[in-house]
Amino acid sequence: MARGPVARFRLGRRALEAADGETVLGALARRGLPNVVRSVRYHRPRGPFCGTGDCTGCLVRVNGRPNVRACRHEVVDGDRVETDNAWPSPRFDLLGAIDLLFPSGIDTLHGFRRPRFAVGAYQRVIRRLAGYSAAPTDAAAAAIAGPLRRYDVDVAIVGAGPAGAGAAERLVAGGVRPLLVDRDRTSVPVPGAEALARTTVTYVPPPSTGADRRFDVLGFEAPGLGVVVRCRSLVVATGSYDASLLFGGSDRPGVVAAELALRLSPPGTPSPFRRVVVFGGGARAKAVVDRLGASVAAVVAPGEIGPDVARAASDLGAPLYPRTLLLAAAGRGRVRSVALKGRGGGPRFHVRCDGIVLAHRRLPNGRLLQQAGAATEWRADVGAHVPRVDPGGATTVAGLFVAGSLAGAAPGESRASGERAADAVLAAAPPLAPGPGPADAAPGELEGYYRELLREPRHGKWIACPCEDVLLDEVERAARTGYTGVEVVKRYTGLGTGLCQGRYCLPDALLLLSILERRPPAEVGTITPRPPAVPMPLAALAALSEEFPPEVVP
Amino acid sequence: MTFERDRYRAVVVGAGIVGLFTAYRLARAGAGPILVVDRGFLSNGGSGRNGGGVRQQWETRSTVRLARESVAAYRGFGREFGFNIWFRQGGYLFLAETDAELDRLEPVRRLLAAEGLPARRLGVDDVAALVPGIDRTAIVGGSYLGSDGTLYPFPAVWGVYEAVRALGVDVALGVEALGVTVRDGAVAAVVTSRGPVATGTVVNAAGGWSGELSRRAGLDVPNVATRHEILATEPMKPFLDPMVVRARDGLYFSQTMRGELVGGLTVPHAPGTARGVPSSPTFLVTMARALVGLVPRLGALGVLRAWTGFYDDTPDGFPVIGEDPRLRGFVHANGFGGHGFMLAPAASRRIAAAVLDEPIDLDPSECSPARFTTPAAARPAERLQLG
Repeated sequence: MARGPVARFRLGRRALEAADGETVLGALARRGLPNVVRSVRYHRPRGPFCGTGDCTGCLVRVNGRPNVRACRHEVVDGDRVETDNAWPSPRFDLLGAIDLLFPSGIDTLHGFRRPRFAVGAYQRVIRRLAGYSAAPTDAAAAAIAGPLRRYDVDVAIVGAGPAGAGAAERLVAGGVRPLLVDRDRTSVPVPGAEALARTTVTYVPPPSTGADRRFDVLGFEAPGLGVVVRCRSLVVATGSYDASLLFGGSDRPGVVAAELALRLSPPGTPSPFRRVVVFGGGARAKAVVDRLGASVAAVVAPGEIGPDVARAASDLGAPLYPRTLLLAAAGRGRVRSVALKGRGGGPRFHVRCDGIVLAHRRLPNGRLLQQAGAATEWRADVGAHVPRVDPGGATTVAGLFVAGSLAGAAPGESRASGERAADAVLAAAPPLAPGPGPADAAPGELEGYYRELLREPRHGKWIACPCEDVLLDEVERAARTGYTGVEVVKRYTGLGTGLCQGRYCLPDALLLLSILERRPPAEVGTITPRPPAVPMPLAALAALSEEFPPEVVP
Repeated sequence: MTFERDRYRAVVVGAGIVGLFTAYRLARAGAGPILVVDRGFLSNGGSGRNGGGVRQQWETRSTVRLARESVAAYRGFGREFGFNIWFRQGGYLFLAETDAELDRLEPVRRLLAAEGLPARRLGVDDVAALVPGIDRTAIVGGSYLGSDGTLYPFPAVWGVYEAVRALGVDVALGVEALGVTVRDGAVAAVVTSRGPVATGTVVNAAGGWSGELSRRAGLDVPNVATRHEILATEPMKPFLDPMVVRARDGLYFSQTMRGELVGGLTVPHAPGTARGVPSSPTFLVTMARALVGLVPRLGALGVLRAWTGFYDDTPDGFPVIGEDPRLRGFVHANGFGGHGFMLAPAASRRIAAAVLDEPIDLDPSECSPARFTTPAAARPAERLQLG
């Protein structure tokens, strides 16, 4: 790894160092996966999960700013990093006793009503269990604010991966200078395209229509500069992300998405795990097994294990457990072992491990499309709602195109998909006509998997929504008492209302609810996507106020 | 059979807090079979989209009294309905940006004092103590009543819903009221998306859709559906106790029990034209500027989500409660202008009385559907239409 000048920062009272451009998590992870925050409500131990800044596993407070993702914040010399929601520390948190005192959860919907004189005290206590960090400081707000950035372009592309870069190159070849926006540093600079790095697009409202069609795209440049991009056509190439999985202790530190495992172990570096269980049997699992090498203790999959993965694991001497339920991650704090059981009534057994990598399914990162009004459809084989896209990347919204894995492109075909989308932009291809999608494919393996899993006895808390510490029991209770449909369950339990806004819990919740409510997942409904797609600092929004004046009402 | 019964004593349109509370009062009074219909799921309308504020600081005596009665009802809600609505009496703080504004709040305080509600006039220091980090140069003071508060709306709706179900009220969700059938100048049936249902009484508690329903029944009403937007920030540890309100732009915000800052403000939109349209960038940026301008440290806090709902506004700011003089059996329970939640427990008693042909202890010039035939200048108005 390239080592530039060293930045010094403090984590609590510890003085630490980071390489230039290194994130807080990157610096901490050299000594193993850190534990920097406890969960809301039950103060359960949490560790980094996603590695992309979307989960709540690595929240820290940096220079007085709350809810900063350690995996996204690049250390600046003199940074003051604090851990949150734990006393005295996230590793030994006395408030963790709440988790033990309430083994079946805290019922805030019905409890704490009596006696009358105690209601005020209950309110003070329960209020303190919410949230992760204190309000920001004035200095933190002043440090992130700045002038807005405004871009008027013909075509903008969100996502500078292979698909976005492919689209940009083809557009440049066609005589158009696109704006290429990416949340990270743009890893693929495209000659002739304008690059906008470290910029997160948060909201694509439905475009104005007609001859003067225009998208007014909102976003922010890290840490908090308001960005507005006005464009005639928009290509969304935001890709896909690793799904989470529900099992006992699935929120435990050491359970990570494939993305985080890959980011923590760049080629040529040692595995961050000693013995790791990889969950998944496809291409993503293969990539993880290849990268983590000898630390792979076993490969477990909900269905069959592909021959590539099987060969790679066998070469490492790691056993294979196809068609197996992941029942629970055991341990105190970090995961120490995993309980497994063969599907269809196989034996129950344990595998010792210090990590579980989830590489079993990828989900489309399509919130921006839904915001813009693009139609989605339930795809049984994916087990999720996916955008309706034609082969050229056109959506049901004029001027809005999709490329890469979000458009359904297979790995390795993303660039070509981007080029097709660029051709569609250049040809001013018409939008996809609204109408019924293709007939349902066979359901994905996860539906049957969860059906079996729900029949297994459960011990301890099963966390259906880690951001808000919502229990599977609470979701079941909602279904039992007639609060059905995902929109209602969301309000009844709080599932999907936390910092990730349901990115991780809702896809699996749809499958679980379809089983609990005994109806097809498509009937359980969808959640109305509410902007912004990721939390956007108020300072950045405020900076855009001149750009969006109130409508004049006659 | 289309519904559980062929005929109902009353059909309530709208399973929001007003409609459900009305059904609750009617069922408790033994009025006979009651049906509640709603086009969506529970809390899909204004009752699930509001900021949860409950205040007693109003300009007119009747509204103050309704609000005071509602506060008492919400304090006892947990015992009566079995759900915890987390009604937290952290107070309402009306900010004043000029001395003239501070003076305009004076009659409100006098009225409240006469009603036994001790609202306090606050100086800059008092306000700064209540709102950590507020820009002291942006305000001259405010008016504060500590017994006002905020609640968590959903469990309130579910609590009353479960109570009416236990009392034998039929609730049909996902059923839209399309209109009414009139015979001999009186309501004979309600036409729904599931078919007609016979009744002599329909209660229009459809919130932002009530004007449409009245007009479908052939009644010209002044109700206007006004689009309103709210946002919620990332949660924080306890930071702010009161609901904070500002007159100039209708800004309001409070911290919920879940730690989020929830608030909105008035952004002009063409009224009634924008159903189903998502949150506007204009709202997001205007709200952000208002919040950051007032409490600069909030700039480093993230916005988590934003959503829209509809106020059911009337020209004079009073709700419409009572039978329509033009159509026997058509009872209005609407026009709450975004304040249905804070008035429902008390207002529902009067609505139920109207259904049962009992006298109502409200001034007709401040509630009756007939009042709009009188020139506006000759009638009172409630202008404290905030938060």
